[in-house]
Amino acid sequence: MKTGMLEIKGISRRFGETVALDNLSLEIEPGELVALLGPSGCGKTTALRIVAGLERADAGTVILKSKDVTNTPPHHRNMGMVFQAYSLFPNLNSQENVAFGLQMRKVSKSKRIQKANELLELVGLNSHARRFPHQLSGGQQQRVALARALAFEPEILLLDEPLSALDAQVRANLREEIRRLQLSLGTTTLFVTHDQEEAMAISDRVGVMNKGKLEQIAPPDYIYNSPSTPFVAGFVGSVNKIKGKLFNGKVSILGKELLSMTNDVPNGSVIAYVRPESILVERNETIPNAKIVTRSFLGANSRVMCETNEGVLIYSAISSTLSGNLHPGDSVSISVTQSEVMVASV
Amino acid sequence: MATLKKNIILPITLIIGGIFAFLPFGSAAEFSFRSFSETGKLQHSLTSYRWIINQPELASHLFLSLKLALIAVLITLFLMVPTVAWLHLKAQTWRPLLEVLTILPLIIPVVALSIGAQAAFPDWLQSSEYELPLMYVILSMPFSFRILDTGMQAIPLKTITEAARGLGANWLKTIFFVIAPVIRGSVMGAFFLTFALSLGEFTLTSLLHWDTFPTWVTSVSQQNIIGAIALSIFSLTAAFALLLIISLFTSRARKLTKEAE
Repeated sequence: MKTGMLEIKGISRRFGETVALDNLSLEIEPGELVALLGPSGCGKTTALRIVAGLERADAGTVILKSKDVTNTPPHHRNMGMVFQAYSLFPNLNSQENVAFGLQMRKVSKSKRIQKANELLELVGLNSHARRFPHQLSGGQQQRVALARALAFEPEILLLDEPLSALDAQVRANLREEIRRLQLSLGTTTLFVTHDQEEAMAISDRVGVMNKGKLEQIAPPDYIYNSPSTPFVAGFVGSVNKIKGKLFNGKVSILGKELLSMTNDVPNGSVIAYVRPESILVERNETIPNAKIVTRSFLGANSRVMCETNEGVLIYSAISSTLSGNLHPGDSVSISVTQSEVMVASV
Repeated sequence: MATLKKNIILPITLIIGGIFAFLPFGSAAEFSFRSFSETGKLQHSLTSYRWIINQPELASHLFLSLKLALIAVLITLFLMVPTVAWLHLKAQTWRPLLEVLTILPLIIPVVALSIGAQAAFPDWLQSSEYELPLMYVILSMPFSFRILDTGMQAIPLKTITEAARGLGANWLKTIFFVIAPVIRGSVMGAFFLTFALSLGEFTLTSLLHWDTFPTWVTSVSQQNIIGAIALSIFSLTAAFALLLIISLFTSRARKLTKEAE
C-alpha cells in the first residue's frame, strides 16, 4: 500500500459551542497539491492550523511520513507556511526573511545567503533581496513569504489563503506561479481557499468542506462534473436547481428522462442539479417551452436567463458566437444535454 | 484677529514654559560654578566639579548604582517582554487584572511597598544589595509594562509569531529573535526608563538603609552645598542625554511600526 505524505485521521475541534471540525480525515500523496475549499467558517483554516501545529485538535491524529506529529510543537514539524496576512518580519530585508528558517536550523551564514538568493530568484525577486517588507508590494511580499516557506525544504507546504489580500491580476499570476514552483520542486502542498476558481485552477485534488466535514474530495473536473452532494453542486460552479419527479432511478426534467447519479434518494419529488453549460437553448417559434429574459455577454461565453412556461428561471452558459441571435423576449426551446444528473429529495 | 491671537499665544506659551523649565536649571548651573577666591571674592570656576571628581566615594557609588540599574533593566526585559507577549497572544482576558497589578506600584506608598516586598524576600536577599534591583523592577513596572504593551499593539504580533514558529523558532527564539527586535523602540524605551528610574531612586533605597549614588548625593549635600548642586546638574544632564537617546530610538520604532503595517 502506498503511504501518504500527510494523513489526517478523525480530527475534531470545537470552539465553545461551535463545531469547527467534525471527524475530518484526509490523505495527501507525496508531491500532490490538495486544496481545501469551502465557505468561511467551514473549518478549512482550522484544519490547516492543526496540521501546522498552531492549533490543537480535540480528537484525532496528524501523521507526517508515517510519524505521528499530533503533539509535536510547530517548530519541530518542518512545515512551510504562507499566511493570508502579510507575515514578513518588518525588521528584516527579503534575503534575511527567506534565510530565517535556515538560521533557526543553524545553517552557516554563507549557505543560507546562497539558498535565500536561489529562492528569491525562483520567485523572480532576486533584485529585491535588500528591500524591506514596507518597500515591497502585496504580491511581492507574498512571493517572499513563499520563498521563505520553501527555503528550508519543508516536508509539506501549507498555504492559508495566501492570495486573498491581493488584487485580481496579481492573484491570477501568483497562483500560476505557486503551481509552477510546487511542480518543479515537487513539494507536497495543502492549500486552503474560499475561492473555487483558485482551487480548481491549480490543484490535483479539491476537498470541498462544509460545517466541519469533508463533503467530497476528488480531482477538480470530477468535483465539477460529478458532485456527490447538493452542497458541492451548489458551491462549486453555478448550478440550476430544477424540480422533477424521480421514479426507479430516473428523473424527468424539461421533457427529458435522465439517470439519477444519486442512489439513496427515494422515489418522489426531487431537485435536479444541472450546470448552465448543460442547458441547450435553441430558437423555436412553433413549440417553445421557454422565453429568454436576459442575455449577459461575458467574453467567450454568454449567460442566458430563460423563463419556462411554468415560470421557472433557468440559466444557460453558451458560446457567445452562438448566443448572438438570441434576444430577450425570444421564444426558445430549452433542454438538458447530459444523460445523468445529481438529484436530492425536496 | 483670531490668527493674530494664535500667532502670539504660541510663542508666549513657549517662552513661559521655557523659563519655567530652564530658569531653575540655569540658576542651579550658574550656582554650581560659584566659588570663592582666597580673598573671599565670589568667582566662577570648575572648583565644584573638580571637587566631585576628587571624591573618593563617587566612583564606587556611581558604579554600584549603574550595576543595580543594569540588573533591574535585565530582569525587567526578561520578565516583561515574554509576559506582555503572552498577554497579547494567549491571555487577553487577563488584561484588566494585569493593568491593575502593574499600576499598583504607583498607588501603594513606597514605605508600605518596601516593607511588604522585603518581607516576601528570603533572609539572604534581605541582607544583600541585590534586593534593590528587584524593588526597582516593581517600581518601574507601570512604565515598562505600558511601553511594551503599546509596542506590541502596533504590530501584527500573532501572525509574526506563528510565522516564526512555523519556520522553526521555539518560544524563546521567537521572543528574543523576532518579537523583541520588531518592537525594538519599545524595548529600548523600557530599557532607558527602568534604567533612569533605578539610577535615580532615592526614597526606597534610603528607607532600606542602602547607600547608592542618590543617597550619597544627599549626604554630600549636607557638607558641600555647591558641590551637591554641581552633582545634581551632572545627574540632570545625564538624564537629559538618556531621554534624547530614547526619543531617537522611538522615532526609529515609529518607522518600524509603519513597516509592520
